[in-house]
This record gives sequence, structure tokens and C-alpha cells, in this order.
Amino acid sequence: MDRQQEFVLRTIEERDVRFVRLWFTDVVGTLKSVALAPAEVEGAFTEGLGFDGSSIEGLSRVFESDMLLKPDPSSFQILPWRGEDEPTSRMFCDILTPDQEPAAADPRFVLRRQLDEAAEMGFTCYTHPEIEFYLLKSEELDEQGQPVPADRAGYFDHSAGIVAQDLRRQTVNMLESVGISVEFSHSEAGPGQNEIDLRYADALTTADNIMTFRTIVKEVALAHGKYATFMPKPFGEHPGSGMHTHFSMFEGDTNVFFDPSAEFNLSTTARQFIAGVLTHAPEFTAITNQFVNSYKRLWGGGEAPSHISWGHNNRSALMRVPLYKPTKGGSARVEFRGSDASTNPYLGYAVIIGAGLKGIQEGYDLSEHVTEDVWSLTTAERKALGLNPLPSTLHDAIRKMEESELVAGILGEQVFENLLRNKQDEWDEYRINVSPFEVNKYLGMV
Amino acid sequence: MSEVASRDLIAAGFQELQRAETFLADDELADLDPASLVRTLAEAPNADEALLLLIRLAERAPDVHDLFRQGDRHYPAAVPLIRLLGASPPLGEFLIRHPEHTDILTEPCGPQPHVVGADDLLRTMMSAVRADADAELPAARLNEDFTAKDAGRALRIAYRREVARLALRDLCADDPAGYVPQASRQLADAAAAAVEGALAVARAEEESRSQQASRVELAVIGMGKTGARELNYVSDVDVLFVHRAPDDVDEDTAQRIAAALSGGIAKVLNASEGEPALWEVDANLRPEGRDGPLSRTVASHQQYYRRWASGWEFQALLKARPIAGSRSLGEAYMEAIWPLVWQSSAREGFVENVQAMRRRVFANIPSEQTDRELKLGHGGLRDIEFTVQLLQLVHGRVDPSIRVRDTLSAIAALGTGEYVSSRDQAAMIRCYQQLRLYEHRIQMRQLRRTHLMPEDETQLRALAQATRPPGQTRRHAPEGFLKAWRATRREVSTFHQKIFYRPLLSTTAVLADDEVRLSAEAVRDRLSALGYSDTAGALRHIETLTSGVSRKATLQRRILPAMLGWLAEGVDPDHGLLAFRRISESLGASPWYLTMLRDSSMAAERLSHMLTSSKLISEMLEHMPESARWLGEDDLLVTHSFETLWAEVRSAIARHNGQLSSAVRPARMIRQRETLRIAIAEACGLLSVEEAGRALSAADRAAAVGALRVAENEIRREGDLAVEFLMVAMGRQGGQEISYGSDMDAMFVHRALPGAKKAEADSQAQKIALRMTQLLSKPVRPAVRGEFPLQVDADLRPEGKKGPLSRSLDSYREYYQRWMATWERQALLRARPAAGSDELAHDFTELIDSVRYDQPLQESEVREIRRLKARVEGERLPRGADPARQVKLGRGGLTDVEWVVQLLQLQHAHHKPVLRTTGTLQVLNSLVDEELLAPDDAAALADAWLLCTRVRSGIVIWSGKLSDVLPSSRLELEAISRWCGFDKGRAAAFEEHYLRTTRRARQVFEKLFYDS
Repeated sequence: MDRQQEFVLRTIEERDVRFVRLWFTDVVGTLKSVALAPAEVEGAFTEGLGFDGSSIEGLSRVFESDMLLKPDPSSFQILPWRGEDEPTSRMFCDILTPDQEPAAADPRFVLRRQLDEAAEMGFTCYTHPEIEFYLLKSEELDEQGQPVPADRAGYFDHSAGIVAQDLRRQTVNMLESVGISVEFSHSEAGPGQNEIDLRYADALTTADNIMTFRTIVKEVALAHGKYATFMPKPFGEHPGSGMHTHFSMFEGDTNVFFDPSAEFNLSTTARQFIAGVLTHAPEFTAITNQFVNSYKRLWGGGEAPSHISWGHNNRSALMRVPLYKPTKGGSARVEFRGSDASTNPYLGYAVIIGAGLKGIQEGYDLSEHVTEDVWSLTTAERKALGLNPLPSTLHDAIRKMEESELVAGILGEQVFENLLRNKQDEWDEYRINVSPFEVNKYLGMV
Repeated sequence: MSEVASRDLIAAGFQELQRAETFLADDELADLDPASLVRTLAEAPNADEALLLLIRLAERAPDVHDLFRQGDRHYPAAVPLIRLLGASPPLGEFLIRHPEHTDILTEPCGPQPHVVGADDLLRTMMSAVRADADAELPAARLNEDFTAKDAGRALRIAYRREVARLALRDLCADDPAGYVPQASRQLADAAAAAVEGALAVARAEEESRSQQASRVELAVIGMGKTGARELNYVSDVDVLFVHRAPDDVDEDTAQRIAAALSGGIAKVLNASEGEPALWEVDANLRPEGRDGPLSRTVASHQQYYRRWASGWEFQALLKARPIAGSRSLGEAYMEAIWPLVWQSSAREGFVENVQAMRRRVFANIPSEQTDRELKLGHGGLRDIEFTVQLLQLVHGRVDPSIRVRDTLSAIAALGTGEYVSSRDQAAMIRCYQQLRLYEHRIQMRQLRRTHLMPEDETQLRALAQATRPPGQTRRHAPEGFLKAWRATRREVSTFHQKIFYRPLLSTTAVLADDEVRLSAEAVRDRLSALGYSDTAGALRHIETLTSGVSRKATLQRRILPAMLGWLAEGVDPDHGLLAFRRISESLGASPWYLTMLRDSSMAAERLSHMLTSSKLISEMLEHMPESARWLGEDDLLVTHSFETLWAEVRSAIARHNGQLSSAVRPARMIRQRETLRIAIAEACGLLSVEEAGRALSAADRAAAVGALRVAENEIRREGDLAVEFLMVAMGRQGGQEISYGSDMDAMFVHRALPGAKKAEADSQAQKIALRMTQLLSKPVRPAVRGEFPLQVDADLRPEGKKGPLSRSLDSYREYYQRWMATWERQALLRARPAAGSDELAHDFTELIDSVRYDQPLQESEVREIRRLKARVEGERLPRGADPARQVKLGRGGLTDVEWVVQLLQLQHAHHKPVLRTTGTLQVLNSLVDEELLAPDDAAALADAWLLCTRVRSGIVIWSGKLSDVLPSSRLELEAISRWCGFDKGRAAAFEEHYLRTTRRARQVFEKLFYDS
């Protein structure tokens, strides 16, 4: 029993915690939770908690269903929203095989392994996500079958008396109480749309935080009688919900993306990182934009990047190099704007970082940066500038990923296959669906 | 001046007599009595060098003459100097450089030399740099006349002076080996004092640069030999740095100052102006190694060791001790870290660490210098050190009394704790001190960090002399010296086994009086540290194997200690030990068996390896124990050709004349025996996958030919033979690419002999075919135990199960012309005559060659093959199975590769004769040669095919059962992964490798098979 484990047991005792939730994630990024009685926690630390992995999407197959959950004591937190009467807590878990080895199909392990690889190259990876979501009146749809936004606030709109204000404040408080720092929060472009930025932290912590964040947002909304959704594109006419993420890498105390003498203060390493991400972006789009609906955001305009490009403070580019004070070399970073709010953060960060590292390892050359607004260009102009599109449907993205040795290597063969199968199933299901659009358009026409 | 006889010079150890005579006549020595001088020089390990250095020294330091004032037949007061000059020219040079230090030559150097304490050494070095040893943060008092450079030089001189003093005492000791621990301790203390002095200089410099410097404390933690106070004359000093500053000094500043202080230490010690550099201060064992900050706070160290450190980093801390800098800070560091060290080194990856360490004990250093190595290699210092550390790790978990830092104290503690017998304890101490003495003397000679025994005869002679006390009447010859060293090495190389493994037998075996009897718990600790999980069971097996006074028990007591180690390296040590017990029970009575294991460590190691990693082999060995003999000799593991085997089968059948029912038994015995031979040869790495496949096919074929012979003989008993008969091997048998326990796909062909009736011939042929099949697979008496009987599968024949078992050649011809389906043409690609009439084989081959090779494939046929394959993929896989793990029919498995190869063969063999062969890999290679297949694609296919074949045989070898599924249980996967050449503990990596290799093959398959 190490000290962290002792700390957890002591806190459970002292705070009279009634339930301990063990959290883990399936390949799609859905949070799974198992509740333990306090008396069972010690056993879970030493032996792990057995469960049937075959019931979890993409985790294991029927014939090898025995899995173990091994809680990570450093992630222990009392959950705020259950009130003081019956304190509940949570820990993230690593998934192990019955032989106590990391399960190859555990998304958290995939990211951990990728970060270990980065560490071997001498890098520590930090991420800083900006997560958008919509607040809805309720889970119910209106008569037209459309979701109903909770309010009509616009971008940076500070109109008083809106439910969202209150709700956002409470969310921020709760996040802070579980140790997640929030950097900035404001209303986004769509009605009921919100954005909250998590302060930068190492990539694994950020991914854990995103999982917690989603849960807290949903909990708080429910407590206010509202409903929060991270669906990539709930409204055809309003912008989708992205999860732009800033990446930076440190070697010891030094930010290796920073070079005061280079263009945009962007070091060669940073340029190679960007080149790696851009080169391989089509191969991992099925992960950063994993649902059929993701492609409605990607191709539906409203600031979503559909073409492969990078630019300095250019919001239409897939990779943006943000402006920052040149004196603050430590904050040099690059922003990936492709991923949406539904991304499984473990897998998403693993592939983006993996692609970037590949760029560094192989010394990729970076193309010219784009100064134009990519959305306003014509197709011919984009062609002339050499701006290639990202996959336009989930189907295209699956086909691209299927052929990617890089993605297979990053995910590991088992997650790779599970994910491909899961995405193919989704596509097959979608393909036979007759949408309201089709009914409206063709029923009367022919 | 009296002449010195050459004999006296020789007796004194001079090698160059003329040169010596000239030197003796030197003016500097004019007032000495040459005979007395020569007799004194006899004490010098190297008299030639000593004489020359003496002249140079006397020139610079006239005081030296005083040492030669008294003496009758020799000069007793000069002996220490002469010893020093002859053992360590660099220290002699030091005195010549600094004649003011010759005062040390008059200090008493008795037979029981005294020890200079750490505090004295510290004060000496501190006064050299003009620092106050008692100050809280001592700093050198530098000024314009005494700069940092001056202080550094003074420090290095003071250190060398202390080393020279120590060498004088050391070289005059009556029991030099016995003085080794004290000498090492003083060297460690001198190094620590030098570091302290250097820190004082660095601090003075830093304080002149930064106001805050005086508020930052630094402590130096010694690791390795410095930490354990068992240092050599010349060695890197391994250290860690830790710093502390009050809250109002900001962290970055403190960090920067600490780094400057730590770096400053090395700068002072490594400068060479005025006096050469001392040694490297190596801080690379610090957290994060080279990439980490040079110094950290206690909290930062603690955090690192809590969160990130891996097993070996804790092991490196086992010898840590504060050696310089702030004492209270050093203590605070130890207080914070020390508890973690034993806790963690005992917990995390304990078994792995222990095994890694064990492997290091045995690791051979592949170098030409191994023979001259004092430290590494068999019987080196490392052997003792690792054995001791291993025992400390295993038993120190529960017994704090053995948690001591230095090797000699650890040996003593292990003796007191009764983990080592008093005799072994004494022997280890004796050998260890002896080897360290050699090391000290070798290093003293050039003050260089070396562990190599010199090759040069003169140097060896000098070394031999230097390792003995003064006052010897005869000089030591180099041969005798080397012999003594080799004897020590031999003794040391037995320690590990004697001390670690041998006591594992102690709970039961009859012990000699001086053997240590471990408690049952201690034995189980050691067994579980080795990787045995059922230690109670293991103890029971050891008990059974070793108790009693029979010759068998005696021999097993001899071999078991080593085997316990080898078995522990295997996949499943517990099973291996049980299997060894079984074999010993069935074989122990054979005189050669245990003798072989005793005399051939290769045989014993191989046996251990197989017993833990293969149920197939251990079971077969149980049934054919005499085969264990092969393990000792590679010649006996060479596989036999079909011709050799058939000759043996034929004569065995001939001998069996009379009893037809059991006549086939020798053929099956021979096949069984060859299977085992091939399995052992492949497990020993003597056969490749392809060679094993061919050898297994040859054994199957010999058995089949034997069965055919018996079947024909049976017909002959009832009348004349009316038919020529042929068995054609199909599928993987046809390609000679089978694995252990594969069945035999076959077709039967016959032709009536001239003059025989067709009907008669036909009926005889059916009988022969059926009978042959039965002879190979039906039980015989007495049973062939542990056999995988050869199952003949004739379902690929025309009309499948509905058709007659054997057809005449004409009937085949007609069938192929009129009815043949595309899949049958494809199947014929692998047809290879295996048993029966040569003429018929020739004619049948001619027939099928025209069928399989002559025509290019029609578009409709291509379509048919593709559809059939697609259907097979859907139907033949077991329900719910994961195709990615199906070795044969799965994604990128054997079938995928073979079908794409066969499709290309059918499309191109008509115009490319090189493609007309049955071997999959051969065809793949030819396809590349003919540019019909891209090399990358062919490589992807071949990789997967070889891997799947290897995995398939690995499954049978490991489990003794046939299966086509890559196992998912870790233990089984580990076994297969090792069979496929992966290192221990790499099962997960192997699984990934398998899945990746087959996925790539599948991609190529889909492109080539379905797309084009």
C-alpha cells in the first residue's frame, strides 16, 4: 500500500464517503462507472476489480471478457454535486488483463503509451482544450423534431439574467472544487452555446479532466432542469461544438516550440510537429471527428476547418499558431482546430501527438502558411494553393484510417481494429436510415 | 666502491642489469653502500623503476638521503619509500614534483598500519583551501594571492599527499589483503574530504558572485563505492546533489546557485593546472539522469522517487550516504529517501529485478579481455557483489539486519543471520579481499581506473611482489601469481550456486556440518524470488528429488541447484520442476542419464528450458526417456533424410516378419521418435521453421511408405499383387510445410499390373488404401504412447467422400477431362507423390502437370476461386471466433497467403515454369524473381506465413494440443512469444507484432486476391 492509496482510504474514512465510483472509458469515449462500497476499495487497489469487459464497447471480445479495473489513487476526488449528506467520490482506472498487464484495448493506456514515447524523446506534452457545448431546454425535441436551446445568448454576450450565467458559474465552481482549473468561459456563437477552457496541464491529466468536465456540465444542467449536449452539430443552422486544443511541448523547463529568432517565434520542432499533424490529419479524422454527425460540423461552415492548412492566427486554418507575447516564450503553442466536442480525448490526443512526433522524428517539411480566409476561397483557389480537404464523411475517414500504419501503431492493433469495426457499424447503420431531409425533399417531388 | 654482483641484482628483481649498474654509480648515490642499497631495493615491486625514481627524487629532495643513514646490511628506514617508488611511479612523480612533501616518508609504517580518521582527512583538506572545517557552510578564504585556482591546486596536492601516505602504509602492511577494508574506507573518506574542500572553493566563488549564495545549503550524497566506503585507489565518484534554501530565496535562484555549486565541485577537482586532475565526479545516477537538474530539493527528490523512479534507481540508492556539504541537509535527505529505498526495491517488479540481476551475474562479457578482467566475467568481483546484493534484496525485505551498505559488512551480516554458512562466509571474505587487493595494486601502478590484469611479464612480476608484504626472502614468479589468481576466480565462480541455490535443498538434504540450514520461509523467499509461484509444491519436489542416500539422490543434489536457476528462467518454472521430477523417476535408474546432466551443463540447461516451455516435449520425453541423451550432443539432433528413415523402417518391418498386425508399429515408433528429435532441435534453435516442416514431412512419409509396405504384404499373403499403387500427398503435406501433429491430406492412385484383371486390381487398391489409413492411425499393441497418430484425410479426392478411395490413373484422366472443378485444379498445385510405385508417380505427375500448369486461368475460374475463398472465410471460422487470432483461416493467416500464392500460380505457371512447385515460400520467391509480385508485398505475405506457421507449431509444442487460435491468456502467450524468439516478458509486444503482421498480410491479400 503506497501513500497515495493510504491517503484515499483515510479520506474515505474521515469524510465518511459512502460510494466510490471507478471511472473508465470505452473506445468511443463514453464514461463508464462502477460504484464500490468503501470496504471494497482496498481490495481494488491490491487485486483490481474484476468486470465483464465484453459488455463495454470496443474493450474486449466475448471470449476474453475478464478484465480488471485498477483505480489510480492520484485521481481520487470527492464529487461535489451529490451534496454533503452522502459524499461520493471517484477515481479513474486503468484497465488490466487478468494477468495484471495493461489491457491493450484501454484508451487511457493508449495515451499513456504515446506520452511515454514522447518522454523517451525527451518531451513532456501539455494540452489546453476549449470545449464547446449547447445548453438545451430539455432532452425533449420540439414539434419539428428539433432540439430547443436554453437561451438565445450570442457570442461574448453578457446579457444579464440568463440561466446560463448562473449555470456556468456553478459549473466553474464545481470544476475548481475537483481541482480542475478553468481558464476562461464565454458564450459562443450559437443560441445556448457555451465554451469553457480548461487550463493547460499534461495531456493525460487533461484527458481525465475532459471526462470529468463533461460529466459535471451534464450534472449541473440537470440540477437546473436543463440539458447539456456535446453533440458535434445539433443544429443545422448554428455552428457546431468543437474542441480546439492547444498543444505545447517541453524539454525540461524549456518550451521546445519557441524560438525567438524564427518566423512567428516558431521553432523548427514546432514546424515539424505541425507538418506531422497536417500530413496525417486525414488518417486520424475518424478519431478526432468520430461520428456521422461530426462531418456535418466539419463541412457545415461556421469556423470549422474542412481543409488542411495552417496559419498564424488564422481562424480558418486546421492548425493555428496563436498570437502570444513574444516575451512569454513558455506559452508558445499550436492549436488544432479539427476535433469536435465528442472526441474521445484519450485517443484524440494520442493520435495528434503521435502524428506530431512522427513529423519531428522524420523531420517533415512544413508547407507555406495560409493568410487568406480558407472558407472564402473558391474550390479552384484552394486547389491552386494545394489545400487538400479532410475526409468529407465518416465513410471516407474510415477508409483513410484503415490504411494508416501510423494510426495502427499509435492505437495498437486491438484498439485499431475495435475502433474500425465500431465506426463501420455506425456507418452501416446510418447508411440505411431515411432522414427527415429526404422525406421532406423527395416525398412530394417524385 | 664495492662492485655489486649480477646475482645480487637479479635476486633484487632487476631486469636490466647493465642499466642498473650505471644508475648505481650515479653521483646522487655516491655516499651509499651499493650492496645495502640493492638489498633494500629488493623490497621494490619493480626495482628498475624504483632505482631511477630514487635518483631523481634524491636530486630534488636532499632530505631523502637521511633515510639511508642507518643500517647495516640494508636501510630499513628507506623501505617504505622503496616500496612506494616500485609500486606506484605516479606517486613517486608526485613527490618529485613536490619535494616539500617528502616529510611523509619519515612517518612510521609498521606491519599493522594505523588508520587516518575521516575527520583528520577533512581538516587537512579544508585547511589546504583555507576554509573553516567547523563552519556551518564553510567557504574557502580566497583573495588575490590565494585565488580559486590556487585553492584548487592546494586541495589536489593535499589529496595526493594523503593518498601517498596511505599507499606507504598499505604497501608495508604485514597482511595487505586484511588491510583492504581499511584502505578502501580511507580512500572513500579522502574522496569525501576532497569533495568537501572543492565545495568550499566553489562556494567562495559563488558567494563573490551572488549575495544569496551564502543562504543556499548543498549536501552531496555519495553513491556506489563512495557511499559504501569501499572505494578503489582510482574510481569515479558517484554522487547526487540536494539543496535547501529559506523561503524568501526564490526557487529559481536557489536552483541556479545549487547547480553552480555542484558544477563547481567537478571544476575544482578536474582542473589540472599545477597538479593533475583527480577523478570524475559523476552525477548521472540522479533523477532523470543527464536530462535532470543537477541538484534538487529534498521534496523534489522525494517526489521523483515516489512517482517516477524505477526499480534499478532504488537499487542504486542502496549504498547512498551523505559525504559532504550540509550535514543536517544530508540527514534530512536520507531520512526522506531511505525508507522508500527498501520499501520499493522490495516491491516494484521485485521478481523481475531479481531475475535481471541474476542474468547479469551470468552474463558473459563478450570481449577479448574477459580473461584478464578482475571485475567482470566469471569469478570476478561482480560475481561476489551481485550474489551478496541479491541475497540482501531477497532476505532484506523481512530482515533489516542485513540492510548494510558495503559488501564485506553485508557478507558478515548474512553470516550472522545464518543465510550463509560460516565456511562460505569466510571464503567469500577471503576471495573478495584478495581480488580487491589485486585491483588496488593494479590501479596504484598507474593511478588509472582499470580492472585489467597486466599481460606484460615485468608488470606481472611487479604486481606479484606488490601484493605481498615486505620482507620476503624470495621473489614471486608470475606463473605462481597467475595460478593463485585463477584459483581464486574458480572459487568465486562457484559461490553463486553454492550460496544462493545450494541451500534451497537444505530443508531436506543430508547436510554436511558446515552447511547452512535455511528456514523453510527463507527457502520459500528465495524460490518465489526466482519466479516459482507454488513454492510449497516446489519444496515438495525438491524434497523428493534430493532426500535419501542413493546414488540418484546424491547426483540430483549435485545438479539441482543449477537446474533450479535454469528452470526459473523458463515460462512455467513450477511445471518444469514437476516434469523434471517425473523424468527423473522414470529414468533415474539409467546410469547415463544423471551422469550426462552432471557432466554436460548444456544438456542440463536445455532440458530445463524444454521442461518449462513445452508440454509436448516433456511428455514425449517421459515416454521416450532415452531420447534425453540427444540433449548433450548436437550431432544426435541432426534430422534424418527420408531415405535414411525409410531404410530403417524397411529393415524394422522385415525383422517383424510373421506378425503382420504389429508390423507397422516400428514405422510409427520411428516417426514418433523423429518428431521428438525435430521438436528438440527446433526448440534448441538448430532448425528453422522451413527445415522443421521438411523434416516432419520426411518422417510422415517414411511412416506412410512403411504402412504401404505392410498393407501390400497383407495382400500378398492372400495371393498375387495385381496393382501398382501410389499415395499422393496434398495440401501442406504436399508442400512439406507441416507442423507437429498435422494430418496427411492425400489421394490414392493405382494401375493394374500387366496381365492383371482390372476389377481385381481395383478391389486390391481400395483395400490397400483403406488398410494403409488404418495402419497409420488405429491403435496398435503395444501402444505407441504419447503419439499423435498420422490421420490420413482423403477428402480432396475426386467426388470427395462419395468417390472411391483410390482411382486408376485412367479414371483420373477421364475425371480431370470431364468433371474437374476449379478448386480441384487449385488443390492439385500442392500434389506430391509420397509413397508407392515410381513409374506410376512419374505418369501421374505428367497427368496432373498438364492439368494444373498448362492452361492459363479463365476469367470465370478466377471469379469462382475468389467466391469460394469469400465463402470459406464466412463459413469455416468457428462461431464467435475473432478472425484476427485465427492462425490458419483467420485474417492474414496461412490460408490467405496460400490462396493468393495459388491464384498467381494458376494464372502464370503455364508460361513461367519456375512456378511449378509445391512449396509456398519457393513460389513467393519465384513470383518476385519473375516480377509478378512486388517485393514488399511478397515480404508481407512471407512474414505472416512464417509467423503463423511458427505460432501454430508453438501452440502444439507448448500445450501438447492442436489449436489454430492465438491464445489470449498471458502465460500461454508468453510461451508462444518466446518460441517465436521474443524475450522474456514481451508477450504483449509479441501479440501486437502478430496482429500487425497478419493485418498487413491481409491488406496485401485483399489487394492482390480480390482487386486485380
